[in-house]
Amino acid sequence: MTTRCQALLGTFVEISIDQDEHCSAIDEAFDIIKQVQYLMSFHNPLSELSVINQRSYLAPIAIHPWTSQILKIAQEVHKQSHGLFNCGIGHRLVAAGLLPQHLNLSQYQFGGIEDITFLAPELITSTKPLCLDLGGIAKGFAVDQAVELLMLNGVESGCVNAGGDLRVFGGSSRPVHIRNPISPSQLIEIGSIQHGAIATSSLYFSKRDYKQSHIVNPLAQRESDIHVDFSESFSVVADQCVYADALTKVFALSQDHTHPCFAHFSAQAIRIST
Amino acid sequence: MMSIPIIAQAKIYMSVEQVQKILFPNKQLSKTPIIITDDLQERMRQASSIRHPFQGDRIWKTADGNWLIVDEVVGKHEMITYAVGISPNGSVLGIEILEYVESYGYEVAEAQWRKQFIGKSAADPIKLNQDIQNIGGATLSCKHLTDGVKRVTVLFEAALKAK
Repeated sequence: MTTRCQALLGTFVEISIDQDEHCSAIDEAFDIIKQVQYLMSFHNPLSELSVINQRSYLAPIAIHPWTSQILKIAQEVHKQSHGLFNCGIGHRLVAAGLLPQHLNLSQYQFGGIEDITFLAPELITSTKPLCLDLGGIAKGFAVDQAVELLMLNGVESGCVNAGGDLRVFGGSSRPVHIRNPISPSQLIEIGSIQHGAIATSSLYFSKRDYKQSHIVNPLAQRESDIHVDFSESFSVVADQCVYADALTKVFALSQDHTHPCFAHFSAQAIRIST
Repeated sequence: MMSIPIIAQAKIYMSVEQVQKILFPNKQLSKTPIIITDDLQERMRQASSIRHPFQGDRIWKTADGNWLIVDEVVGKHEMITYAVGISPNGSVLGIEILEYVESYGYEVAEAQWRKQFIGKSAADPIKLNQDIQNIGGATLSCKHLTDGVKRVTVLFEAALKAK
């Protein structure tokens, strides 16, 4: 077994394969994740995401197939969650000091992911100014891209873990532990995963570092309801990590493990209470 | 205050020898230690806001002028050993994590406690939670590591570039 770790997407990304050959495939998988980061980083003012935020309401923008794919998935989850999942919350995170400020926020009334129109498969425009942040979905997307590349390169089985959002692929099943939200140094074995992904939303690291909650309710009407505070841990198991990642926000906001969204995406919700 | 730290994760990904092969395949590296003056130490501290001193004895060079630097970042909750490959013109060729130790309970920065991990190799893994490989949970920040890479690039500009 070979396991390597690099700092990407603002977190630690671990790629582990069960075979000892195919080591160059790991390099390529890290490169794919770097490319996702380059396209979708909010921090980088030159990323494709930043271009979308700066100009999509002014003129059509040609985008990379991956950006197109992730925006479509984001719209799909937005629709199925009746608006609980929405990437159009970047300005909330900027205002809370959780993301860097590239635009003067007070100048705009921002729309959401639903305001993006596809003029062609890789050409978009927006009816309103946007401040999209893909932080709630891009890690899962990057994990899936890396997994697909590893499989294409003949890697039989392994696991890609981006800061706690992970996917196990190939024949082997792997035990998965998740952190106990009361004491994140303690791990809870929740079972094994084979051909599947799990992602988790929780605030223990934010609280430890005295940061505002990054879980934003896009439907909040009152200022005090924007940043949602909780002490539990919300995990979602799905076939692909991008859905697991996005759906943890639906779970954390709805607090409902029977939300119809989970059945729609063949996902399972797991809450660890405190 | 001396409480026993609880270790959530202690992982050794690879040794210095292994990272040399990953960042500089088929190249010979020679150890090139540097004496870090107080002035340089201070410049690195200012650029990165990392307080613990940089050790100049884990620096290697290839015959064609590339560099490999191994360093640690020690946060309140974790300690990360990492390697940075730098080309002759100063561009970062790759960053790889060698060891990751996470703990709670008291400052990982406590030198005595850290000592037991430093210098272990992948062939000599820490006997803790070895069966725990796949950990899900809230996203950990890699900000400390980003700061670490900043100080390594300052080191290159100030002390290695001209060599």
